[in-house]
Amino acid sequence: MDAFTLTLWIVRITFVILLYLFFAALLRVLWRDLRSTVATSGRSLGRLVVVASPEGRPPAGSSIPLDAITSLGRDVNNSITVEDSFVSAEHAVLTFRGRAWYLEDRGSTNGTYVNGQRVGGVVPLGYGDEVQLGQVRLRLERAPA
Amino acid sequence: MMTALYRAGIRPRLRNQETLLLALMGVALLAGWASLASQQAGRMTIGDPAIPGIYVGILFAIHVAFVLTGRRMDQVLLPVTGMLGSLSLLLMARLPQGLAGLSVGSLELGLAPLQLLWLSLALAVLAVLAVAVRNDNWLREYKYTWAAVGIGLLLLVFVLSPDTSGPRLSLQIGPIAGQPSELLKVILVVFLAGYLAENRTLLARTSTRIGPISLPPVPYLLPMVAMWGVALAIVIIQRDLGAALLFFTVFLTLLYVATRRFAYVVLGMAMFLGGAAILYQLFPLVRVRVDVWLDPWSDPLDTGFQIIHALYAFGRGGILGTGLGAGLPAVGDTPGDLPAIHTDFVYAALGEELGMLGALAIVALYAVIAERGLRIAARAADDFRALLATGLTLVIVIQAALIIGGNLKLVPLTGITLPFISYGGSSLLANAIVIGLLLALSDRGVEPPPPPTHARRFHLPLRSPA
Repeated sequence: MDAFTLTLWIVRITFVILLYLFFAALLRVLWRDLRSTVATSGRSLGRLVVVASPEGRPPAGSSIPLDAITSLGRDVNNSITVEDSFVSAEHAVLTFRGRAWYLEDRGSTNGTYVNGQRVGGVVPLGYGDEVQLGQVRLRLERAPA
Repeated sequence: MMTALYRAGIRPRLRNQETLLLALMGVALLAGWASLASQQAGRMTIGDPAIPGIYVGILFAIHVAFVLTGRRMDQVLLPVTGMLGSLSLLLMARLPQGLAGLSVGSLELGLAPLQLLWLSLALAVLAVLAVAVRNDNWLREYKYTWAAVGIGLLLLVFVLSPDTSGPRLSLQIGPIAGQPSELLKVILVVFLAGYLAENRTLLARTSTRIGPISLPPVPYLLPMVAMWGVALAIVIIQRDLGAALLFFTVFLTLLYVATRRFAYVVLGMAMFLGGAAILYQLFPLVRVRVDVWLDPWSDPLDTGFQIIHALYAFGRGGILGTGLGAGLPAVGDTPGDLPAIHTDFVYAALGEELGMLGALAIVALYAVIAERGLRIAARAADDFRALLATGLTLVIVIQAALIIGGNLKLVPLTGITLPFISYGGSSLLANAIVIGLLLALSDRGVEPPPPPTHARRFHLPLRSPA
């Protein structure tokens, strides 16, 4: 084997090694990213962002992580207590049923609205939909990763 | 200097991971270039550094632009795309330059310079989309318009392109020729993401039952049937099996992602098998492709020729490969050469020269794109963005899987391109649009999704509850 063939072989193998070094660097970035995601995310299914809340509780602009069953109303025993003059004690309940979120009005006085339409019975809810109870408007969003 | 930048309203944000990955990519490309040039010259040389130099320069320019705009975008997608492009340049420089050509005045461009030109254009499109797209309303609100544009493109091909016996893919308007099906796949994903995000909850619901299969409300099944029809139409009108297979697979996967209903997948597969059986009977093209996939040695000199030679190429490559430029594929010069090596059989060519290690690295690069894309989808703020990111990722990954599988005789061979590696402007531009949109979607400082469209803000006469 002459010097040229040997050098060429080394250059060839160097190229393959560099290809894999690049891949190793990629894996390192992906691994770090994965670790930081696991560290920061609670296992939340979604969150409610408060769009408007004239009486300040919950405060407008805040975001509330959701459990699979989340009840809303003025009573302190609800998962989310909504302090608003026009909200009933047991106003509505949000449930995550395997595939999607559902919203149910619990016989409130002023009703529950999704995107401006009054809700009767159980309705499916998509991320980005806006829910209104009394004067409080809430938007359902995905949990941030 | 920093204060001057700040005074000009520029808030740079360093992207260290991207810098490192791009630098590694550049070194790898130069090593590969030297290996190829030495092999071809028969003595040690680093070759003509113009093509790799320009290419790496463009990538770093885009990197600097991303840093200066201060975007918090994904840092992996650009280097991975760059690496796939590097492999493409290495292969195009190795193949006979006469496979494609363009002469502008006295300037003659061969295969490699032309591919560099297309790659530069594609990277420019990618960078502009990644930086300029700050909200998605133009995609979200006009989904039916986009669908109409897509159908229009399909019809245009049908009306304008000459009737040949092979696939009818290209559309020529004046001097510009392109393959609309490449663009169509992006438009399709935009439409599907918009439609599914809006009707996701309805499609996930069960209302109709046929025996053990439960279905959603029947009207919402219609788009699915329509999609199936479009896929069949592509096969019949364009004789383009690859695009049809790609569209249908992306559609089914996206439907499953949106609804998590396995029944759709079963139903879709049943429809696919039914459609495939009918097409097998009716169209000789389909029959040839399937028969050759099952047994290429039944017709080794004609229809089975490509697949047999692809398999030989992988075999000759072994584990380490023959080295860049040392492979056998004698293309273009001799009779009995491998047709379409620079578009359909790039994976076999690289598999021979880089061996199993190189071939696996290419698969790994597409796997990284899949991981990044799905992560961007998981982080998205709402359904539309999540489904859009998933769909865009699927388009690239499924296309790569179909053609790599075709080269390896795992699935019937279809004439689609290997994203970012195959020669061709339409394919490069369409895939650059996909990566550009993914980068834009990954930006953490992007505008929040708009409020629901059908919201009617009205003030209700409220009564105080007792």
